Amino acid sequence: MSRAVGAAEELFRLAPGARNGRQDDLIDGAMPEYVVEPETPEAVAAILRWCSAHGQLAVMRGGGTRMSWGRAPRAVDVAVSTSRLSQVTRYEPGDLTVTVEAGLSIDRLNRELAGRGQWLPIDVPSGDSTVGGAIATNESGPLRHRYGTPRDLLIGIRLATADGRLASAGGQVVKNVAGYDLGKLMAGSFGTLAAIVSATFKLAPRPAASETMAWTFPTGEALAAAAGAIGGSQIDLLSLETEAILDGAAGHERTFRLLARFGGTASANAEQAAETANLVAPFGPTANERLADEADGEFWRDRPAAMWRRPGALVRASWLPSRLGDVVALLEEIARRNRSRVRFEARAAVGAGTVSVDGDVQAQRDLVEALRARPDVAGNVLIMRAGPDVKAVIDVWGPPTGAAVVAAALKRALDPASVLNASRGPV
Amino acid sequence: VDRRQITELERLCGPDAVLKDPSALLAYECDALSYLKALPGLVVAPSSAAAVQAVVRFCHREGVPFVPRGHGTGLSGGALPVPGGVVIALSRLNRVLDVDIPNRRVTVEPGVTNLAITKLVAPFGYYYAPDPSSQQVCSIGGNVAENSGGAHCLKYGFTVHHVLALEFVMPDGELVTLGSSMVDAPGPDLVGLVVGSEGTLGIATKVTVRILRRPESVQTFLAAFDSIEAGGAAVSEIIAAGIVPAAIEMMDALAIEAAEAAVHPGFPKADTILIVELDGPAAEVRDLSGVVLDVFRRLGASAIEVAADEAQRARIWKGRKAAFAAMGRVSPNYYVQDGVVPRTRLPEVLGRIRDLSLSSGLRIGNVFHAGDGNLHPLICYDGGVPGEADKAADVAGEILSYCVEAGGSITGEHGVGRDKRDSMPKMFSDTDLDLMREVRAAFDPDGLCNPGKVLPTPRLCGEVPGPYRQHPAEVAGVADRF
Repeated sequence: MSRAVGAAEELFRLAPGARNGRQDDLIDGAMPEYVVEPETPEAVAAILRWCSAHGQLAVMRGGGTRMSWGRAPRAVDVAVSTSRLSQVTRYEPGDLTVTVEAGLSIDRLNRELAGRGQWLPIDVPSGDSTVGGAIATNESGPLRHRYGTPRDLLIGIRLATADGRLASAGGQVVKNVAGYDLGKLMAGSFGTLAAIVSATFKLAPRPAASETMAWTFPTGEALAAAAGAIGGSQIDLLSLETEAILDGAAGHERTFRLLARFGGTASANAEQAAETANLVAPFGPTANERLADEADGEFWRDRPAAMWRRPGALVRASWLPSRLGDVVALLEEIARRNRSRVRFEARAAVGAGTVSVDGDVQAQRDLVEALRARPDVAGNVLIMRAGPDVKAVIDVWGPPTGAAVVAAALKRALDPASVLNASRGPV
Repeated sequence: VDRRQITELERLCGPDAVLKDPSALLAYECDALSYLKALPGLVVAPSSAAAVQAVVRFCHREGVPFVPRGHGTGLSGGALPVPGGVVIALSRLNRVLDVDIPNRRVTVEPGVTNLAITKLVAPFGYYYAPDPSSQQVCSIGGNVAENSGGAHCLKYGFTVHHVLALEFVMPDGELVTLGSSMVDAPGPDLVGLVVGSEGTLGIATKVTVRILRRPESVQTFLAAFDSIEAGGAAVSEIIAAGIVPAAIEMMDALAIEAAEAAVHPGFPKADTILIVELDGPAAEVRDLSGVVLDVFRRLGASAIEVAADEAQRARIWKGRKAAFAAMGRVSPNYYVQDGVVPRTRLPEVLGRIRDLSLSSGLRIGNVFHAGDGNLHPLICYDGGVPGEADKAADVAGEILSYCVEAGGSITGEHGVGRDKRDSMPKMFSDTDLDLMREVRAAFDPDGLCNPGKVLPTPRLCGEVPGPYRQHPAEVAGVADRF
């Protein structure tokens, strides 16, 4: 990490306004030596070229709302913020497409799109979460049931490469198979392969109306069976969420809820809600509630963020949808064993969700290890947020998969100086 | 390919898996883009993933270029052999490995056809969504390579939205699993990169796809208009009303005439017809049907047909899906293009295509996916007239330029292949293409896997494409090249 004399001056020339890292720039305890906020894609590229040339470890940062995700870095030389790259470059309502810079917050974008009855249906942990961060993490929430993950909505991308070039892939149209889809390659890459400077998405019309039915069940088994019945039906939902609150500390208190959100015409929503109630009835729901109109919108807007606000570790996992009951049973067992508070929110028909676990380091670690020990039940178990004590003893990404060799080859090709994302993973 | 190599391949895959007789090789000299032909040295048809792996390892070791091939229905020359090289035919890898209805997943080998998946799961009320017109015969491996779409991808997406995991033979013969049957495999989306890479990054030997529940209700409409502009306006208004139909297809007079001559769908005589399909919950389809019919009436549709039953719906789609082949009824030869324009630019680009038809003297039929702006101009020519085939190719190239100028793409679903390889610079800069080459080289440093497809050949020979750039280590002064 030795820096040639004059190199820092060069960085300040490339990134006017560059400053030293501060307390609120810490990444898992590592203080970035410099924080830069480039105003143009060209400046991002030039900064990365400088990092590669001088072997300086760079971490890309959007809204900074998911910086807890990843291995703890040994050191961070430069944090590259996209905060000044936040323009809507091009919005074509008639084509349902939008091109935006990476640092634009998804909330802000959606406020702009709302005027035309459209949206980019991606759930985010915070109002500050950006487009670039959504792609880099490929994280999603309840809306995934209908719209998929960010990669499913991404149709074009512009990248700054580690050696300082600007290159594009994909395009402005929803249907396009020309060339390699490098946008997909960025999805889930966590800034390890290149920096995202802008992206083009296909948009969706906002549903004409929305409402939610929620049912409470006495057991996780009943919850899973009811979710399975809806998942295999012709009911067309915006979201199908399951929720389990398992308090291993306070007398093993448990709550199981199923939430079905309808997003179509008002009359179709009402008809489908009635059908869904019939499907659920045999599984013995003990209570139900209904949310409509504004209350419905409000409830769902805050839900992904609320999960991130909870204390303790946040873990992501997936499973085959038919194993939902086993996943819930396993979590119950873990919560009881560790006397920890576990909250589980999941996309029932997709087979993916997040687990929040409060409790001591041992309880947090045990939850991750117990899930990883049952690959027949759950897979792809990774830590989205945990304290340094947990990260020190357990790998956040889990054991490498067979595809790791391919990802490693791409890393060598695209970031030969290995400066991007300071070994925080997953590549 | 020499005698020793043939013996070795026969030992690896069995003698009946190696075709070397010139007459047998002829069947593999092109895919469905028949104007590009090359005779392979050898065709190998392995019947297991292990055998595919052995053949690829062999090619890698011997430095022999190889071209993967599904059922040969591709329209961009993606399966065009390398002259004298090896074609790896995947048609014998056609086993269904797992049908998992509770989890809505099906795992098959690449030689299983697209429609076979739907047939497997139809009794349970499910289907596989991507539906290219060739779905009866095209292979799922080919769909993966091409990221195939179809008429219904407007609402349901392309192959890339439905593939969960791939077993994949890398160009050096290593077998890897990309993605995961459980979603959210951590790390970059390698399935998303490989789907649509046109067989240049490796060979899928196992494919896990999602299947969807059949919608509760489907309603198909046909509306006739006396101008392309009115048809185009109808498309825009339906989208502006916040509706995402399952499909919106458009045909012009020449395409209608051809379809009538071939399969007699009973289409009205018109300048333009629009086929719109809504699906979903019955109440939703009922509500939105009213909106669609209002749009048709407001824009002066001269005839409106609402499919009353499955038979009428099938007849409408038969007319649409037969339109390509039907062109043979009105022209000795035709050339299909696959450019895309932003939906709102359709009337303008279609107008330019009409002008081009007049100035070139070649008739051009249009049958296309209007909902997503994916054009399929059918350029009619007579191969018996000297120079006319070249003229058709020029016209096709001109249409691609119109599409790119309008902010679109040179290909929406047929792929770049060999056919449009040299049009890539219309869409992408040298830097864009260099980055794609670097990605390709990370998978296939020796350039043996389906070479000569997708990316234009760089101007200079050598392993590093594009202009010389200093390595960061050189810039830093820690390494020298000489």
